[in-house]
Amino acid sequence: MSLQYLKEAVANNETDKLIRYVRLHLGDGNETAGREEIDKAWIEALTPLLDVPTTDRAFIFKTLAEQDTATLAHLFFHLHFYFVQRSGKWIHDGQL
Amino acid sequence: MTVNSNDTAQLRPGLWGTINERYPGVMITKDDFIPLAHLKRPLSEARLTFISSAGVQPKGTMPFDVVHPVGDYSFRRVPSGAKVDDLEIHQIKYPTNGASRDLNVIFPIERLQELKAESVIGALTPNFFSFIGYQMDPATFESTLAEDMASAVVADGADAALLCPA
Repeated sequence: MSLQYLKEAVANNETDKLIRYVRLHLGDGNETAGREEIDKAWIEALTPLLDVPTTDRAFIFKTLAEQDTATLAHLFFHLHFYFVQRSGKWIHDGQL
Repeated sequence: MTVNSNDTAQLRPGLWGTINERYPGVMITKDDFIPLAHLKRPLSEARLTFISSAGVQPKGTMPFDVVHPVGDYSFRRVPSGAKVDDLEIHQIKYPTNGASRDLNVIFPIERLQELKAESVIGALTPNFFSFIGYQMDPATFESTLAEDMASAVVADGADAALLCPA
């Protein structure tokens, strides 16, 4: 989808078009695969927290406070791919 | 790649026939008349450059941004004299397992070095050029990445460019 297509979808609040694009991006052109990839990432994010380990919350708050929204959004996409790759069920060839 | 590739199967047949349905507006249609540039000297006397969308880059350089939802509009210079072991691929949108075994299948740097050594090609530019083929904004692609890379190619003194999509 072109950037113009996505911007028009934002302007018109056409969220179905936006989430479809995200799924296509994460699923390499396959919307169903993209949906499954999102699920995988959340499972990978949930699992390490089940034993309630100590985490670096100061780092989290510092990052959220000091970084701009675009950088955080970019990080969000990075984390998705990181966790999916970490799952070992990597549907992609290649490396990040 | 949606499925890890093997060496024999055609992956996602019909992919290109449906790309406008899956990614509306992403295919570029150009009506501009761009005259072909004719080679001004024989290839054996010409300086050749190589431009690839394979996402090949020298190890240690900033990885191409394969996660960004709108794409990466940067390019990398790859020294034409580089050794394959000094290069790596950062891209997840095409099957790279074959290229990981032999980079020349997607980025034939050693073949071009050989053709230069055999004087089939007069010279190679100091750098080759690489980017990734995932950009959702064709206008920005043209005005930034394409223009910047074209300027770099000219600065490197290329007489001819070999273009290779991944």
